[in-house]
Amino acid sequence: MTDYLLIQAFNGLVIGIIYAVIAAGLTVIFSILKIVNFAHGEVYMMGGYFAYFAIALAGVPPLPAVLVAMALSFALSVLVERTLLTPLYSPTTERKGDYGILVTFGISIFLRALALIIYGPYPLRPPSFWPGVAVVGGLVMAWDRVFAGGAGIAMLIGLVWFMNRTSWGEALNAVSQSRESAAIVGINDQRFYMLAFGLGGALAGGAGALVGPIYSLSPSMGLLPDTQAFAIVILGGMGSVAGSILAGLMIGVLESMFVALFPDPSRSLTYAQAFSLLVLMLVLLIRPTGLFGRAHVAME
Amino acid sequence: MDALPLIEARDLTKRFGGILAVSNLNLAVQQGELVGLIGPNGSGKTTTINMLTGHLAPAAGHIFLRGRRADGHSPSEFAALRVGRTFQITQLFSRMSVLENMLVPGLARPHSHWTAATRTARRHLEFLGLAALETLRAKNLSGGQQKLLELGRALMLDPEILFLDEPFAGVNPFLRDQIIELVRKLHADGRTFVIVDHDIEALQRLVQRMVVMSRGEKIADGTVTEVREDQEVLRAYAGV
Amino acid sequence: MSRWSSAFALVLAALALAFPFMVNAYWLSVGVLAMFYAIVAASWALLAGYAGQFSFGHMAFVSLGAYTSGLLVMTFGVPIPLGMAAGVLMCAIVGSGIGFVCLRMRGPYLALFTVAFSEVLRIVIVSENEVTGGSGGLEVTPLFHGATDMPYHYLGLALLGGSLAIMQLLVTSRWGLFFRAIRENEDAAAAAGVKVVRFRILAFAITSSFAGLAGGFYGHYIGILTPDIGSVDQMGLVVAMAVIGGAESIIAAMIGALGLEFLVESLRSYGQWRLVLFGALLLLTMRFARNGLLALAWQWLAQLNFTSLARGRGRRALRGG
Repeated sequence: MTDYLLIQAFNGLVIGIIYAVIAAGLTVIFSILKIVNFAHGEVYMMGGYFAYFAIALAGVPPLPAVLVAMALSFALSVLVERTLLTPLYSPTTERKGDYGILVTFGISIFLRALALIIYGPYPLRPPSFWPGVAVVGGLVMAWDRVFAGGAGIAMLIGLVWFMNRTSWGEALNAVSQSRESAAIVGINDQRFYMLAFGLGGALAGGAGALVGPIYSLSPSMGLLPDTQAFAIVILGGMGSVAGSILAGLMIGVLESMFVALFPDPSRSLTYAQAFSLLVLMLVLLIRPTGLFGRAHVAME
Repeated sequence: MDALPLIEARDLTKRFGGILAVSNLNLAVQQGELVGLIGPNGSGKTTTINMLTGHLAPAAGHIFLRGRRADGHSPSEFAALRVGRTFQITQLFSRMSVLENMLVPGLARPHSHWTAATRTARRHLEFLGLAALETLRAKNLSGGQQKLLELGRALMLDPEILFLDEPFAGVNPFLRDQIIELVRKLHADGRTFVIVDHDIEALQRLVQRMVVMSRGEKIADGTVTEVREDQEVLRAYAGV
Repeated sequence: MSRWSSAFALVLAALALAFPFMVNAYWLSVGVLAMFYAIVAASWALLAGYAGQFSFGHMAFVSLGAYTSGLLVMTFGVPIPLGMAAGVLMCAIVGSGIGFVCLRMRGPYLALFTVAFSEVLRIVIVSENEVTGGSGGLEVTPLFHGATDMPYHYLGLALLGGSLAIMQLLVTSRWGLFFRAIRENEDAAAAAGVKVVRFRILAFAITSSFAGLAGGFYGHYIGILTPDIGSVDQMGLVVAMAVIGGAESIIAAMIGALGLEFLVESLRSYGQWRLVLFGALLLLTMRFARNGLLALAWQWLAQLNFTSLARGRGRRALRGG
């Protein structure tokens, strides 16, 4: 029994790292563009498919396919941002908060419907990064999961390094804290919104690519992450990347433990989906400002 | 012996995180007074008004309205009790017309009717010089007109007491004089005023009593001349 | 209403009444569905566009109304009208509850919370398949037993007309003023004496009730209920209909729903591409015609009227009249 629980905990950790990557991407978008992006899960989904087709059509090996997926997700996000989000920066746009909600919700609907046509409704499974399993003592772990966890950690480290050690990243940080002050010191706003949205999307897409071999791909796989990522971001404190990482790990492990310990096995999987949704609802009810991090900044 | 104050704050305190915005404030305003509330930036003036109109809950202390406890009331309850206010940054219903802006408070009052409320609204708009703009959307008004509309909206509550938060901020001298005149007339009609502003000159022309706050505390409370010569007040302004 | 709009409304009413005799059975059924969507879209527009509460949980109430009625009728033999009424009541209660717990939430957080609520409800329906039939569906007694959809058409018309009448009454009353004030500036509304708490809860209770009514009608028309009716994609459809029509006007939202449903069905041969079209139309409308296509059309019409009027006046002036 403990072996089973340990495996579940390990799986939970891996999925938690994935959640953390998705949530970190969302935090970057949220803290800089100041919008709630309902379409984040759809970029995650697209990333998974980008990797699949990079492997299947272009013969890219599985590992580099993740990078290809990230690059394409970056491009997709920038395209979305340039065509649909620019009104958010214009002083003549009224009720920006409403616009952000409706437009990103619309993008999510659109991308999901598009994916349904292009990729079809049946789940697709990309080839493994690393076939086989690792056996440690009594525990059996799929290499794919180990790889996903490791790659996810690498992405997070990369993000933190980027935000703290490069001039672009520091500029992003500045913009996230105060748009006006950043503009005064010459940081050109528009390029940073593009960068932020693209970066957030790249992370989501990368997470999708990592998850493909483990859970397979479907057009609606982004639905749950849409809201779940927000539970994590809010729990982690809205503007804090570190907070999202911690919260992501927490949720991942807790969710797995939930599945493992839920008394009715026939319902455990479906109700597990509701787990993070309930967490979101609870957090929104009790402490919309989250566990760590900055107090919420109003949309307008 | 003092009559029952119209509104009274006792030991009112408010904290934001670690900052003590208002500390043990004691302030009583009698019916018919015209009080100015001044102080350097960050002295807690707007926070005090927010507490006295229900927009913020005090951390400690009590508020009495006509002798009855009122802390914990919501802003709409204060409005129903005929406490009106304007905001530092004008808060209007931007996409609604001028008349509709006036009708919202007019019809929110119990036992109100459309015809009577419209008549009252038009009367106030006439008084404020906004009658011709009745059908315009509030967001299309000039800054000064918006300030007047906000005052009109507060008047629709038939308020016994009006809190004005920086009515003279960023206002041209002509409009400033207009506002002073309007307040004088309304005061003569029997309404009580507490006015927060940084324009001490304008307030001095208008008010009988001046209250000074600094760093969350009341440091002076008296006639205009008394306060003008108060050393502590001078130090508070100079020190900041 | 002016003479022209009364005349227009009469023509429309006549067309609506004669509709079953003008089209074949397929289009008649499309019409029934269109009226279902019209009630849902209009009530969503009332909540989100008019009262400013952007809830993405509206379909949860459609689902709740449908399943409440369906389960009461199938399990306890309750007569359908009573079942539908119970569905409406259930939605009013749960809607008030949601409105209450969301009081401190604004804008996107309200949207997030309601979408989560909607998904949780859907998951519960799917999971408790012994009671609800789960993904396989719940068979529900239809309202009318007959070869034709005609009775559904007229009932739908009555429900749509009744809903429209009530919503219009609301919108033109002082409550409508208060809803808009809350939408424009909640703090100012409170300072103006509007009981914000009461009206936010009311907005949810009322609009959720309409959704529940529509859901009950839908269930007892289609005859089989699936959890999909409460899905996010269905919500997206309704949002698209309302926004494309014009989210701040109940009538525009209704027209948007009717128009788009017929459009979607006429493109049936294109299969799933029509959903992509919907989504694209929604995005284009948001980006370039925020107040909806009807408002855009109205503007063009107004400009046309204006120029022809001006020409008319000019001619008269030349004649010296």
